[in-house]
Amino acid sequence: MTRDIALGQFIPGKGVIHKMDARVKILLLIAFIVLIFCTFNFISLGLITASVVAVILLSDIPFKMYLKSLKVIILIIVITSLLNIFYGSGEPLVQFWIFKITLSGIYRAVFVTVRIVCLILISSCLTFTTSPTDLTDAIERLMKPLKIFHIKVHEIAMMMTIALRFVPTLLEETDKIMAAQKARGADMESGGMIKKIKAMTPVLIPLFVSAFRRAYDLAVAMECRCYQGGDGRTRMKILKMKKLDWFCVAFTALVLIGVILCNIFFPAAI
Amino acid sequence: MSFISVENVKFSYDEDKKNVLNDINLKIEQGEFVALLGHNGCGKSTAAKLLNAMILPDEGVVIVDKMNTSDEKLTYEIRRNVGLVLQNPDNQLVASVIEEDVAFGPENLGVPPEEIRERVDRALKTVDMYEYRKHAPHKLSGGQKQRVAIAGILAMQPTCVVFDEPTAMLDPNGREEVMNTILTLKQNGITVVLITHYMNEAVMADRVIVMDKGVVLTEGNPREVFSQVNLLKKHSLDVPQATELAYKLLGIGLKFDEMPLNTDECVDYLEGVLK
Amino acid sequence: MSIIEVKNLSFVYGIDTPFEKKAVEDVSLSVDEGEVIGLIGHTGSGKSTFVQMLNGLIKPTSGQVLLAGRDIWEKPKEIRNIRFKVGMVFQYPEYQLFDDTVYKDISFGPRNKGYSEKEIDEKVRNAARFVGLSERLLKESPFDLSGGEKRRAAIAGIIAMDPDVLVLDEPTAGLDPKGKNLLLAQIMQYHKQRKNTIFIVSHSMEDISRIADRVMVMNKGRLEMLDTPRNIFAQVEKIESMGLRVPQITKIMMTLKERGVNLPDGILTVEQAFFEVVNLLKKEGKI
Repeated sequence: MTRDIALGQFIPGKGVIHKMDARVKILLLIAFIVLIFCTFNFISLGLITASVVAVILLSDIPFKMYLKSLKVIILIIVITSLLNIFYGSGEPLVQFWIFKITLSGIYRAVFVTVRIVCLILISSCLTFTTSPTDLTDAIERLMKPLKIFHIKVHEIAMMMTIALRFVPTLLEETDKIMAAQKARGADMESGGMIKKIKAMTPVLIPLFVSAFRRAYDLAVAMECRCYQGGDGRTRMKILKMKKLDWFCVAFTALVLIGVILCNIFFPAAI
Repeated sequence: MSFISVENVKFSYDEDKKNVLNDINLKIEQGEFVALLGHNGCGKSTAAKLLNAMILPDEGVVIVDKMNTSDEKLTYEIRRNVGLVLQNPDNQLVASVIEEDVAFGPENLGVPPEEIRERVDRALKTVDMYEYRKHAPHKLSGGQKQRVAIAGILAMQPTCVVFDEPTAMLDPNGREEVMNTILTLKQNGITVVLITHYMNEAVMADRVIVMDKGVVLTEGNPREVFSQVNLLKKHSLDVPQATELAYKLLGIGLKFDEMPLNTDECVDYLEGVLK
Repeated sequence: MSIIEVKNLSFVYGIDTPFEKKAVEDVSLSVDEGEVIGLIGHTGSGKSTFVQMLNGLIKPTSGQVLLAGRDIWEKPKEIRNIRFKVGMVFQYPEYQLFDDTVYKDISFGPRNKGYSEKEIDEKVRNAARFVGLSERLLKESPFDLSGGEKRRAAIAGIIAMDPDVLVLDEPTAGLDPKGKNLLLAQIMQYHKQRKNTIFIVSHSMEDISRIADRVMVMNKGRLEMLDTPRNIFAQVEKIESMGLRVPQITKIMMTLKERGVNLPDGILTVEQAFFEVVNLLKKEGKI
């Protein structure tokens, strides 16, 4: 049975964010992340939270999906905010044994929680609305300037493309090999950790052998199609900034200015 | 001069091992459809890789469209000219979106973006996969994947396409799809070299070359070749059942004008005899 | 006595999702000990799902598989034991080879089954003999064998578990005519000696008609036909309407019959056809 793993959790849709240039999305995501960590009072924090909420409302992705991605890290949120509550300085509000809770501690906890939640929401928004292919493509184009530092940008992107292409194939293959070994009486369910790991050998070895064989075939096929690395290569898809993209850049710039002004004109809370 | 000529070629993968190809001579004309037949390990796949400079002869020369494959400067021009479609359709697709995969070849050749778009659309229409252009390869059937692989080669606008057992891993429907596509290419004037061990595919070719142990055993048009039932059987090759029956009847003295190769010909021949 | 009885077997993929699909629908049949059953149907007809329910790799959504009269899912915890009784050779089985010698690889199944070392040795050597692998090859790494040898080693791995029912999913796929004929001959030789039940899935109607006692035709998850190859392939139109073909020689003989030549139905091999044609010629005094 083929397991359909949603790679990178891309959810096809027709929303505004879906239509944006993936390069712009990545850059704006970075801008947002920086902004999230540059909020020092409640007003700027409120502003950035409102912007993030606005973005995810525009994204044409069911809110349920965002909740799912938050669920994964709920434990981290709880632990870090608890640590922060007890880490504050100043007059304790409540005190018991060696623990004391201060106002600044509560503030810190609120900031940390809101920041992490915003961070997860906005990053999920990128992965939900951008197909893995578009994402690798955008990363390759954005990283192009790094070539002067002798970073093999094209090769890295090519590897990512091939990996994305072969993940479903290899998953399917894993299923097949597992079924075949089960048919030979392999017991993969019972026993402790070590026994289970040992029981995986009959699956892992054929899987590696097959991956190598595929890699060899693919290399031959790529050479047959005149692949000679990134030099002199053109691309079918040309990415162009559209009105929508400029609008989103402008929006982010406004948020940026807003956050800076709030930070200047209102006192820092932490 | 022939479009492709292989002259006195010897080749071995390992210097001290015996030759995979042993003094082979082939001539293929422009626009011809040639089937290369032989059982596994007879050197036919190696011969395929000779034609697009994936391997170079130890001795002898391979000339493709007046270009010597041993000339390193011409390697990529030769590979663009002579496309190679491999057996396993899964392992020749590079990208996760069909149209981007088809674009891979022309992108490597540095074709301008607008022209790539045109070539990709045309290639996908030729193999009848245009409506799947946005799909992911792993959701397609074997025959569909193989047609996408063919489109990927066509987008490089080759003059010749070599098929290395393109149907070996497909079911009968997939086989038929791919064979129809191959016939379309032939109609479009592309030279086709089909390596196979299915006789009913080889029957469709203009010329059949039978290989064994690295040498050419016999060649000629399908009728000439498949008439040599004994020779083929001796080298563990199958003949179509239609031909086999006619051959058996020949043994008891039933003559025919030409050897029947397919169902219809055999029916007509037997009807003449029995009625 | 029937060794396998299938009762109203169904399997549905992805129940309660938008992708819900009936892969196998209400299949019933009963197979006698020692029978060779050919299974045909185009890709997606449910053949693979069906055979995987025979050894409990897939649990049916409804219906039963009875092995020697007992439901194989009677004790779900002991389903592994069923897999030793119903041996399953998947398509391209050479991709499951993993151990460092052919001998060890073949012994994987029998060892899982719990045979003693002495029994394992006997089973491995017997299985290797059935598929024509020499003693010398047993010491080699499975990855150094030729394509055909790998295939036979993988099949030996199943035969060595000494199953009462052997299921082969396209055992000859991708082999050349020489390798194909050799492997089929070995399987039939094994069947003759071991006298167990065999299910063989194949796209090659020529092969099926040569070796099967009865043929199952599956279409859209249902069992459309179940009969002797002779009776099945006599129904050319019905077979072709399901996207399948009949052997070329059958097609030739059927067409001749339609055109008024006095030939019997369901001729399956070149030898039979030759025999009938010669008979006819003799009767008419042409030879």
